Amino acid sequence: MSEQALSAGWRHAWRLSLPYSRRGRILFAIRAAAVLILIAAAVSTPGFFTAVSLFSLLNTTSFIGCVAIGMTFITLSGNIMSFALGATLSTSGMVFMAALPLGLTAALLTAMAFGAAITGFQGAVIGYFRANPIIVSMAALALITGGATLITQGQGIYPQGDAAAALRGHIFGVPMPLAAFIATVVVVQVVLSFTRFGRQLYMVGSNWRAALASGLEPARIVLGAYVGAGLCTAVAGILMAARYSSGDLELGLGYDYSAISAVLVGGTSIVGGEGSAVRTLVGAFIIAICQVLLLLHGFSTQIQYLCIGVIVLFVIMVQTLAEGE
Amino acid sequence: MDVRSLFTNRSARPYGLLLLIAVLLWVLDGGRGLFLTPATLFSVLQQFATIGPIALGLGLSMIIREFDLSVGGMLSLSGCIAVLTGAQYPALGVALAVLFGVIWGSFQGAIMVWLRLGSIGVTLGGLLTLGGLAYVVTGNLSITYPRMDVALAVNQPILYVFSLRSLIALGAFLIAAFFMARTRGGRDVYATGSDRRAALVSGVRTDAIIPAVFACSGALAALSGSLLSYSLAAASGVALTDALVPATAAAIIGGVSLTGGKGTPLGVVGGVLVLCLLSAGLNAVGTPPAVQDVVTGGVLFIVAVVDAVDLGPRLFAIRRALTKSF
Repeated sequence: MSEQALSAGWRHAWRLSLPYSRRGRILFAIRAAAVLILIAAAVSTPGFFTAVSLFSLLNTTSFIGCVAIGMTFITLSGNIMSFALGATLSTSGMVFMAALPLGLTAALLTAMAFGAAITGFQGAVIGYFRANPIIVSMAALALITGGATLITQGQGIYPQGDAAAALRGHIFGVPMPLAAFIATVVVVQVVLSFTRFGRQLYMVGSNWRAALASGLEPARIVLGAYVGAGLCTAVAGILMAARYSSGDLELGLGYDYSAISAVLVGGTSIVGGEGSAVRTLVGAFIIAICQVLLLLHGFSTQIQYLCIGVIVLFVIMVQTLAEGE
Repeated sequence: MDVRSLFTNRSARPYGLLLLIAVLLWVLDGGRGLFLTPATLFSVLQQFATIGPIALGLGLSMIIREFDLSVGGMLSLSGCIAVLTGAQYPALGVALAVLFGVIWGSFQGAIMVWLRLGSIGVTLGGLLTLGGLAYVVTGNLSITYPRMDVALAVNQPILYVFSLRSLIALGAFLIAAFFMARTRGGRDVYATGSDRRAALVSGVRTDAIIPAVFACSGALAALSGSLLSYSLAAASGVALTDALVPATAAAIIGGVSLTGGKGTPLGVVGGVLVLCLLSAGLNAVGTPPAVQDVVTGGVLFIVAVVDAVDLGPRLFAIRRALTKSF
């Protein structure tokens, strides 16, 4: 990679949340203030830093976060969201569990390949035929759920032995899911900021026709985005299956909505072409901190659901105001 | 009648498909008499009563080139509202639920017009908010409806195959079909969806049409949700996507296009019937429910590919590549 491209990448990675326009800067100030208030509220809440609440927070956030990073690829490419990632998470977890007798590495590779293949297939249809991404993902959701139920007869998959135990431990004192999540964020951010594919993805997401006119092959880039989404989702599926020692269709239930919430709260634009993996990381943690705060202040689970909905609605309104200039 | 119109006319397409599926199921049944019974038709129409109004609302939002993701949340929340308020007077519960649907739908539409937002983002926030509200009003529990007589009355067969619920749903479709085909408002809705700018220039009040369509969509989802909860005598907050996928599939199969301006309520009726017949028919001949998922997904997938923007050019390129190589 040339020095020039590298510095452009750094500029890109740095400028993620520092927009040029005045309106954009005001919005950035609002966002920063919101995050600071949230952190202040977290610090001043007794019990926030106790091990139990932090651990549960980090674990759940890591699973949702990996799917959200995958969703970021899809949103960035201008295809809004996928309804099939939750089902992809469940099924790649099941594939991982089923392949575990072949050895840990083989099972990991099989599950990742499976996730990349089924999501990549949707990406190919969406990219090459320009089929509607929402409809394709809904069709995929029904096909994956129905197919998996038929194959497994509706049973969960429980492996013999415990080869997946290695995935439940710690690396340098960091819980495995969190380590995998952070690694995913780093890898994806590097891909987005420093590779040709990443820059082309932003271009296709912000303007398909312009990308086509300037000689790119948008269909191939969309396909790449979906393969990336499948890989990230498979990572989450593997970690969840390892954690619960079983593969089950219920694992990923509702994860599509949690993931797109994290993507949008992080400030990635729903129309595509603007956003980043780091933003999604921030979004995932904002939601998680809100949940823990509400929990510690004695609000019930149902209020948490409501708050996430309102936050997403609010963020979408604020975010789109920034693009309305 | 021109047989080819069954394949070329978007709104007639679902009826051709319906015929095909009926014949296939009849063959699959193989003379056991499980499929061609009034009971099958009744269960088709019962499912129609649930999916139909949602598909109609979603279809209307797709005709103006928007998409109402919030219908799933509205379905569960309106059920909760109806069950909580309708113990004394069932009609009041439905009325309040529908009123809430109208208010929420126009609120969503007004935000889109006012802030110039896309519908997917706004209704996604709406879906999550409504789902959260449904959990809040029910206290995260499944609440039961004390009036068993009402539960039985809405599902009581009328003329062997209909019930109060399915008649209400069919009525909603008839009103919508008349409105869309015969009134100025209906033409304005199509104009808004085909080319919003041209519609605006030629005097259509698109900023009023959008909230109105979302109000309709909210009201129809609320109608379906409240009647469904009455018929189950229960309501809960759990149901986000369950209705969204089949309703979208029904609207798409019924000839509505996400690119706007295309499709009719009667086409959507056909689309809903296709899905319900598939599910009820497969059930009647004894296939496991997962097969219905696969078939629904397959049909939805095929329609998505057939309606894809670049399908023609890609097929042309493939064909040319093939003829060159031979």
